[in-house]
Amino acid sequence: MSHDSHHAPVACKTELAPERSDLGLYRPDRATGWTDWLTTVDHKKIGIMYGAFAMLYFLIGGVEALAIRTQLARPDNDFVTARMYNQLFTMHGTTMIFLGVMPLSAAFFNFLVPLQVGARDVAFPRLNAFSLWTFVFGAFVLNASWLFEFGHLAGWFDSFAWHKALVYTDFAPANGWFSYAPLSGTFGANGQALRFTGVGTDFWIIGIQILGIASLAASFNFICTIINMRAKGMTMMRLPVFTWMTLVTSVLIILAFPAITVALIELMFDRAFGANFFNPSAGGQPVLWQHLFWIFGHPEVYILVLPAMGIVSEVLPTFTGKSLFGYPIIVFSGAVIGFLGFAVWSHHMFTTGLGPVPTAAFSLLTMAIAVPTGVKIFNWLGTIWGGRIRFTPPMVLALGFIWMFMCGGFSGVMHSSAPADSQQQDSYFVIAHFHYVLLGGVLLGLMAGLYFWFPKIFGRMPNAPVAYLGSALVILGFNLAFGPMHYLGLAGQPRRTHTYHAGNGWETWNFVATIGAYVLGIGVVIVFGNLVWTAFRGKKCGNDPWDGRTLEWSLPSPVPEYNFAQAPVVATRDAFFEHKHGAKKIGLENDGGEAGVHMPSQSWMPMLASAGFLFIGFGMPMMAMGIPHAGWLVISGLGVLFLGIWLWALEGPGGYMLKTPAPSGAPAPAETVAH
Amino acid sequence: MSSSHEAAPSKAFLAEEVRRYHHFIVLALWLAVVTGAEIVLIYLPLPTAVIFTILTLMSAGKFFAVILWFMHLIYDKRLLFWCFLAGLVLAFATYAALLCLFSAERIDTRWFS
Amino acid sequence: MSDHAAAHEAPTSTGIDHKKLIMWLFLASDCMFFGTLISTHLLYRKLFPAGFTDAEGHQRFIQDLFSIELTSFSTFILLMSSFLMALAVSAMHKGQLKSFRRNVLGVIIFGLIFLGCQVFEFTHFYHKGLTIQNSVLGSTFYVLTGTHGTHVAIGVLWLILLYFYSFTGKLGGHMGALDVEVAGLYWHFVDIVWIIIFTAVYLVEYLGPYGIWGSGLPAVVK
Repeated sequence: MSHDSHHAPVACKTELAPERSDLGLYRPDRATGWTDWLTTVDHKKIGIMYGAFAMLYFLIGGVEALAIRTQLARPDNDFVTARMYNQLFTMHGTTMIFLGVMPLSAAFFNFLVPLQVGARDVAFPRLNAFSLWTFVFGAFVLNASWLFEFGHLAGWFDSFAWHKALVYTDFAPANGWFSYAPLSGTFGANGQALRFTGVGTDFWIIGIQILGIASLAASFNFICTIINMRAKGMTMMRLPVFTWMTLVTSVLIILAFPAITVALIELMFDRAFGANFFNPSAGGQPVLWQHLFWIFGHPEVYILVLPAMGIVSEVLPTFTGKSLFGYPIIVFSGAVIGFLGFAVWSHHMFTTGLGPVPTAAFSLLTMAIAVPTGVKIFNWLGTIWGGRIRFTPPMVLALGFIWMFMCGGFSGVMHSSAPADSQQQDSYFVIAHFHYVLLGGVLLGLMAGLYFWFPKIFGRMPNAPVAYLGSALVILGFNLAFGPMHYLGLAGQPRRTHTYHAGNGWETWNFVATIGAYVLGIGVVIVFGNLVWTAFRGKKCGNDPWDGRTLEWSLPSPVPEYNFAQAPVVATRDAFFEHKHGAKKIGLENDGGEAGVHMPSQSWMPMLASAGFLFIGFGMPMMAMGIPHAGWLVISGLGVLFLGIWLWALEGPGGYMLKTPAPSGAPAPAETVAH
Repeated sequence: MSSSHEAAPSKAFLAEEVRRYHHFIVLALWLAVVTGAEIVLIYLPLPTAVIFTILTLMSAGKFFAVILWFMHLIYDKRLLFWCFLAGLVLAFATYAALLCLFSAERIDTRWFS
Repeated sequence: MSDHAAAHEAPTSTGIDHKKLIMWLFLASDCMFFGTLISTHLLYRKLFPAGFTDAEGHQRFIQDLFSIELTSFSTFILLMSSFLMALAVSAMHKGQLKSFRRNVLGVIIFGLIFLGCQVFEFTHFYHKGLTIQNSVLGSTFYVLTGTHGTHVAIGVLWLILLYFYSFTGKLGGHMGALDVEVAGLYWHFVDIVWIIIFTAVYLVEYLGPYGIWGSGLPAVVK
């Protein structure tokens, strides 16, 4: 009757007797196939799903980018209309940030953090599943706006009364990924709520809101896991740097996302209920939106880059055979970057007329934030110095990160000078800067992570020549695409404009940039194709093909459900490396074996709760479209959400006991390195 | 988990809970008194800056009293206190800065005055 | 002996229960959330200290709307509900289920009284001419206090569910006390946010002719 499981330990979960939860419904613990993946609370499977969706959305965002570059390849081009162009760059930015990079980082957090701290799962497994499904449904809502847009362009809605009544017929968001007021807001006195844009903005608002909830839930979970579920002997200063960066990133998320949550609520109230937060006709200040957005937005860019920095901090020591140079300083710098990230938001607003004192203050703080970043780079160089470098695909990409991110950092510090920024703002120079840090930095770092950890996740090695080819094309392509944009920006080409006239001297480099974008696209397809092929058909490998340093490499590849057969006891940093090559061995706790270890039960409830967001996500824009009774869809969505959470609370955590292999001595030593 | 599986709370634990119970009652009375004092204070003919400072101190006092005693933070591990304080301090600092960035002289009064 | 402690009963690295830690993290995040809403309201008070313009075009002062008696009463109610919540948590720790139920019922009733006062206050202000649509003040005030009220309502719902759950016999022991304590943390937080709102939104409006924001404007006869 209690929520404790009293089952005898089983060797495999399909051997479990059917068990009812406290609600009286059968728990899906014995499920296989689709049901297993849909009800799983296993952090490894959740990580794989995050990664798969992220790669899909990277490709979609990439197609949007190629459409943009095709339009800009020639002056006065008409490949797409101006409105479609606005929708393309809006969705490209939103997709890449929220549906590409953040979920791919989440994939790594999910898969690695429990393994690196020596735990068997995260602190709240069902909450983890809830985060995943909320992300999946939020991503669908956001991209469903494209489906509505295509339907509109194809004329499917023309006969409907609500469609005929629409003032604006843009269904996909077109205001940029930052959706500034007053364009996205309202005007007119006394609740008229006259708008400048159509339903696309409403799709954007509710889509980002839902995705924010997913990120928040996951971050609370990871902070709790990292602080509270470390193996014996795993002190905070023995954690792998990737886990540290996950912690800092998660803290940034929980403190930065509330600002955008409120900003979105305020904007939604303006549009849906005639409030006046950003309505100039009633005294509302549109620049407040910019402030609130960037109070979120600046920490967001550190949320994007810190995980990649964490990955690089794992890859470099592995392939130089040396421990990370200055571990405490790297950890501390990561924390300082996170903290200072909250103090610099108005550097995105230097041209809004803040006044000389605020401008100077933000300018100085922005320059200050370059310091801990530079410290990290020097520490990475110190790691490589004097090491025996193995140029494996992950290492090549990590080295690329250092160099390319530095280039992005240089253009960034140029922005920090407010007078210089007044020329650079809204020009292609900014686009060059952030694509260097995002592609040259984040993407290369994440790709390094994919190549590095795929052998652990799937037990198969990626094909090295194809990996080198794909990586080379990516690096070449992105430099070709975004390098010239430094020049184009300073030569005056403004961003977010759907075309340009001939005679400004921009034609050649725009064409080169388009070529580069296609080369980049081919490279990405090769890399992703290589990885997907590897997952199913790659050459099998053992548990430690790279001579790794951290705990996950001590486990079989792919990792068994229970992670650790016996819970590890560590005595030092880089515990597995020391275990193999040094004096301090990893101990084992006396758990597992025939007595079994406790595994959390699977559940439908997190997905049921998330499904509520699907109704809300469609209901809000449909209300804006004027479709009758759409408000009931929102109300029922809230109902489904609360029902799901209530049943989740009532069913009890359950759990079952899984037998693990008996201890057979020390973990296997490193295999001969494949390269 | 039914309590039949666990030992009854120990005597020392119960004695501690009883002490805290009395603290709660005293604290509740103090909160009521301070709130009443705040309401009286705003009607007093003192300079605005003085009243505002005293109000701030009183509210901060109530705030931390609830956190430390009702919410048990003074009895719990320090980590929880620092977790919460981080969020509180960051919120306060960020939004104090935001308030300083706006002033009535800098807004555009052509649309609304 | 079979010791299958559920994962949430396994020892944690810090000795703090997972649920407690995650609730404090959530409250830290909620500080930023309410900070944004409160600062939006204060910002617009700073920009437009005179108040709002009603439907007939008259300039109105915020002190005309406020009824300090009503708001003081609802503040007392919420503070006392916080006290009862602390007693409920204490009762749960001591294993006194009946005392827990009495106190939680008290919290629920006081919470509902608070919500009733809020609804009354909103209708009162609406009839006096402040709407969400006719002014920035209306927007910021109603959304800020409405969001707080929504937090209170969610808390009341949570406590109602805990109250009924306590009759099933499944609420007890260490985990039961933890669940109640976590609900208590949420409730107390909602109370301390109100402490800030009461001072920053209501009380400061009574200082000086236009409230604290009015320095520099011509004095008005009250």
